[in-house]
Amino acid sequence: MNDSNNYYEQIRKELVEQVEPNIYYCYQCGKCTAGCPLSDVYDWQPNEVIRLIQLGRVDSIINSNSVYLCVSCEICSSRCPQEVNIAAVMSHIRIKSWQYGLFRLKHISNFYKIFLRIAALIGRSYEPLLILTLNLLNKRFFNDFELMPGILKRRKIKLLPEPVKGRKGIAETIKKHL
Amino acid sequence: MEKVLEKEEKNAGGTREALKVAYYPGCSLNSTAIDFNTSIKKLYGTLGVELEEIEDWNCCGTTPAQNISRELVSELSARNVRLAGKMGFSEILSPCISCYCKLFKAASGMKKAGEGDFKIFSIVEHLLFLKDIIAEKYAENRGRIKPFEENILNNLKPVCYYGCVLLRTENIYRFDSFENPTSMEKVLEAAGVNALNFSFKTECCGAILSLTHKEIVLKLSRKILDVAIEAGANSIITCCPLCQQNLDMRQSQINRYFKTNYKIPVFYISQILGLALGIPFRELMINKLFVKPDF
Repeated sequence: MNDSNNYYEQIRKELVEQVEPNIYYCYQCGKCTAGCPLSDVYDWQPNEVIRLIQLGRVDSIINSNSVYLCVSCEICSSRCPQEVNIAAVMSHIRIKSWQYGLFRLKHISNFYKIFLRIAALIGRSYEPLLILTLNLLNKRFFNDFELMPGILKRRKIKLLPEPVKGRKGIAETIKKHL
Repeated sequence: MEKVLEKEEKNAGGTREALKVAYYPGCSLNSTAIDFNTSIKKLYGTLGVELEEIEDWNCCGTTPAQNISRELVSELSARNVRLAGKMGFSEILSPCISCYCKLFKAASGMKKAGEGDFKIFSIVEHLLFLKDIIAEKYAENRGRIKPFEENILNNLKPVCYYGCVLLRTENIYRFDSFENPTSMEKVLEAAGVNALNFSFKTECCGAILSLTHKEIVLKLSRKILDVAIEAGANSIITCCPLCQQNLDMRQSQINRYFKTNYKIPVFYISQILGLALGIPFRELMINKLFVKPDF
């Protein structure tokens, strides 16, 4: 627990000192939240995330679903009248919570892991293996099953992988960060 | 950019020096968006622009790499840019919007580090440069369009959908307004296709959440279809493989989930331009769409 507290404080410091010092300019107009396509599924709205950082409660953000579900569409940042780069803040918290092992949404972290392991193995994405392993790991065995006949009929999926010659170097790069 | 224009002028002067650009398809265009890939190649063939695929390209890392480490995504993408450099190119066309953003950022990083000056093009920006050639070829091939293709073009009432990341991503070159862009409309106009006004041009479709939180994607994509119909459209023209997939392939899921009855074909911009320039329907792989155009 102590460890986590240190991480939270460290992330807060990085955010307000390096990533986005403008955080303190936020006056809660809510324009970011009004435009956010995911605000209705977030535990904390984008403007609330900024407020929580001002209050020093990064822990509360990391333990909610908001930063993990964010798809980086960047509506929030592009419309902010105070030029707070909200998307960069969300992204920084997401990256750091991954690096410190605090990443909350299992389904999404499983996807990242599998996707990057396949990229390390082949050098490119390979959808059949990705979808199969992801459905197994996330215990959604028949997820998107109904789309398969249509995809196969249209040959919209490569049945065999196309390994990249330089995949060894790619694997090393990925393993350094995964 | 200037280079392209310069060459274009030479073309106009009659020396006919071939236009050539490095081509980074990316993983999507190699599988689920094979129709995007094929239609681009056909279209560029007609336009007389040569695409040379980067040899041994790798995955750009896309969302998973971006969300776990900034260094990882730039290292993965920088490899592709370097490979294009080795082949003697300084301009790369990257049609997939996610790949485009990753490659663009990697190229910016490389420029800062003194590793060369690479220009990365999204398909929309590149087509905008080729607008005059498109208009020229359209005029040339007008009589050659077959009745089947002509019928589709005549009945087309499309809106253009740009997706969220093309113009809004931080540090990406904004060649157009990120709230109400008009580049796709301009390119299509050069080929005689007029698009309707649309208020959801740059709304988000939910992107890759489709693999983990499908309900969200179905809801967001449904809104886009809904607003397109409200605008009076019978089809959507996209420039992003993931948006196209969410709107087209998952349209049946949307209909089942919300008990709706949408039947809106979602084309790639290269497919519609191809039709207008006289390329047959099948060669553009329009038959691979999940929702077929029957108008």
